[in-house]
Amino acid sequence: MSVQDQRAHFHRPAPGIPASQGRPFGATLSPWLRLFAGGVWWIEHAFERARADGRPEEDTRVRIFLVMVVFSVVFSGLAIGAIHSALFADRGAAGRSANPNALERADLVDRNGALLATNIGYYSLYIHPAEVWDRRQAMVDIRRAVPRLSANRLRTAMFGDRRALVAQGLTPNERRAIHDLALGGVEFEAEDLRAYPLGTSARHLIGASDTGGIGTSGVELAFNDEIRAAGAAGRDFPISIDLRVQGVLENELAAAAIANGSKGAVGIVTNVLTGEVLGMASYPATTTKNQAVSAVYEMGSVFKTFTIAAAVDTGRADMNTMIDASEAFMVGKRAIKDFHATNRVLSLEEVYLHSSNIGTSRLAIGMGGNTMRDYFTRFGLLAAAPIELKESARPIRPREWSDTTLASLSFGYGISITPAQMSAAMGALTNGGRYIPLSLRKGGALNRGEGRRVVSEQTSQTMLELMRRNVVRGSGSHADAAGLRVGGKTGSANKLVNGRYDASHAVGTFAAVFPADGPVGTQRYSILILMDEPQTWPRTGGFVAAPAVGNIANRIAPFLGVERRADAYSTALGDKVPSFQDVEGDGR
Amino acid sequence: MTAGLVFKRLFDWKIRGVRWVEIIGGLLVAVMVLSVYIAKAAAAREGSQIGELESQIAENRQRVRLLNAEISRLEQPARLEALSRAAGLGPVTARRQATEAQLPALQAMPQPAAPVPAASVPAAAPAAAPVDDAAKPAGEAL
Repeated sequence: MSVQDQRAHFHRPAPGIPASQGRPFGATLSPWLRLFAGGVWWIEHAFERARADGRPEEDTRVRIFLVMVVFSVVFSGLAIGAIHSALFADRGAAGRSANPNALERADLVDRNGALLATNIGYYSLYIHPAEVWDRRQAMVDIRRAVPRLSANRLRTAMFGDRRALVAQGLTPNERRAIHDLALGGVEFEAEDLRAYPLGTSARHLIGASDTGGIGTSGVELAFNDEIRAAGAAGRDFPISIDLRVQGVLENELAAAAIANGSKGAVGIVTNVLTGEVLGMASYPATTTKNQAVSAVYEMGSVFKTFTIAAAVDTGRADMNTMIDASEAFMVGKRAIKDFHATNRVLSLEEVYLHSSNIGTSRLAIGMGGNTMRDYFTRFGLLAAAPIELKESARPIRPREWSDTTLASLSFGYGISITPAQMSAAMGALTNGGRYIPLSLRKGGALNRGEGRRVVSEQTSQTMLELMRRNVVRGSGSHADAAGLRVGGKTGSANKLVNGRYDASHAVGTFAAVFPADGPVGTQRYSILILMDEPQTWPRTGGFVAAPAVGNIANRIAPFLGVERRADAYSTALGDKVPSFQDVEGDGR
Repeated sequence: MTAGLVFKRLFDWKIRGVRWVEIIGGLLVAVMVLSVYIAKAAAAREGSQIGELESQIAENRQRVRLLNAEISRLEQPARLEALSRAAGLGPVTARRQATEAQLPALQAMPQPAAPVPAASVPAAAPAAAPVDDAAKPAGEAL
């Protein structure tokens, strides 16, 4: 630097200005960028440098070398890409006809793998009107090939101005028929639709799903996420239903309902140890409502089972307790009478077998509101049945627990519950005394544990014995099935019509369990049959519902592995053992 | 040093003005190109075959699903029961049922009716008759 230099060439950072502002541009960049910039500078000035050093040929070599390096890198990249695509490309991809509209829903199967719901491939038909040569002729041809197509929709699509959907759900044959016409502007798209091959069988239970593959009711809704997950993993989704049991239940239920002219009917078969629902039917099949979980009924005398169980469990009564039913029981101004009046002092067994309103009212009022509410809560009678179905309805509960309410509750009035609640409560009573929630999941509800204790094992055994005796010599005799040791309780209630209980609108119920003998932990199955407004007389559960229970037990026992055996009351073939052989010594 | 010279002379050996190394190199490249072409062509043919088979599998799978659904439809309990009832069939009563363990007891029952058809019909007819007759008394006796 000298005094002759131009002023503009002289640069000195002003005091106080950061040193970086005085440095070359590259210095402000990151080290890597600076290195790169330096490299470019070095290459650009190589020629000058070489000339300055008197070795111009070196510059040429450097340039040739650099060009070679660049080309080598590019061609190596291409070669690697080519080898990769030659060796590792997905060869089948070209020929695979993947359906982009495939439903991600697993097949629903029963516990033995029988198909309940599946996805079936269909085609939807689109028309691109601008590409159709002769629209009128095309319309005629297509209608001739598939007559079921709607003429209006076809016409709208054919004479519209853009691509339009004509029909969904075309079978492969129908698609071929249209495709073979070789028309222009006709397009097909593959689509999956949910199919229910069983028709009306188990339809209330299985429910439905929409065209997008989302469950809208029943099992399809309840297990929607799991069914989709199973579908994505390529697995079936099994539910607890046994299609054979379901079939028998539906057939017998429909036969009984038709025979007695019932407006509706419900049947539930469960495994009382696991809470698995093996069959659940709702008659008539034409309604969409699953009455087994979404309809509530006053069920009448079936509740006497719970009242007596509570009395036995609290120690207020045992098999030797005598209860006065010789005259009407007055609760305030209300006289409680017996339907089958005996007008005498009854043992606990007789109260149960004669279905004495007086007897159970006395027991319920004796126990008091708190005890009764406690037991009803534990039996799950005051809350919606904890089953997976979203349709599970809440019961209509008593508003207060006065003596007159307790009397009504003791024989099944003043509380309306769903059949599913009744089935679960009967399960708790007969499985050794633990409340196991009903479940449609194969294997039972998740994390159900041991279940809450409702009554003691001893009470459970006592109630099983009482239920068995009720079938042998009480109101449930029509439910007996040879050698299957059926136990159960009838229930008959009048329905409220215009604010009054009307005897011509009745509900007949039979809640059964089989086999009723054997120790706690024996595999037992509960059958609940409810007939809504039967038209034949008598309308009681013992006549309208019990015979169906017997038929069902007879037919499903081989499927469930229940062997016919003799017990204290009848032989394996159903012949009665004379009462003098009764070793129970019940003191009558 | 000598080896280097030999190598250089060998390298510089030309046939009609073209280095032999280049000729061999060219030939090798040609062979490689041809073999790659053949391999690729074969792979493409197999690829399309695989694709075809896979689409066939997918189609068949769809067909199996359809047939399964059809089986399920035909075997729906209500239909089977209606057909059985129409054919005069019905549930078997407890008296006509037997377990596996009871089978020997059933066989041991006497068959008084067996010789009669054998006497009247000399040929193959008796084979069917005794079985039919045997079942009845045995079942009744259970």
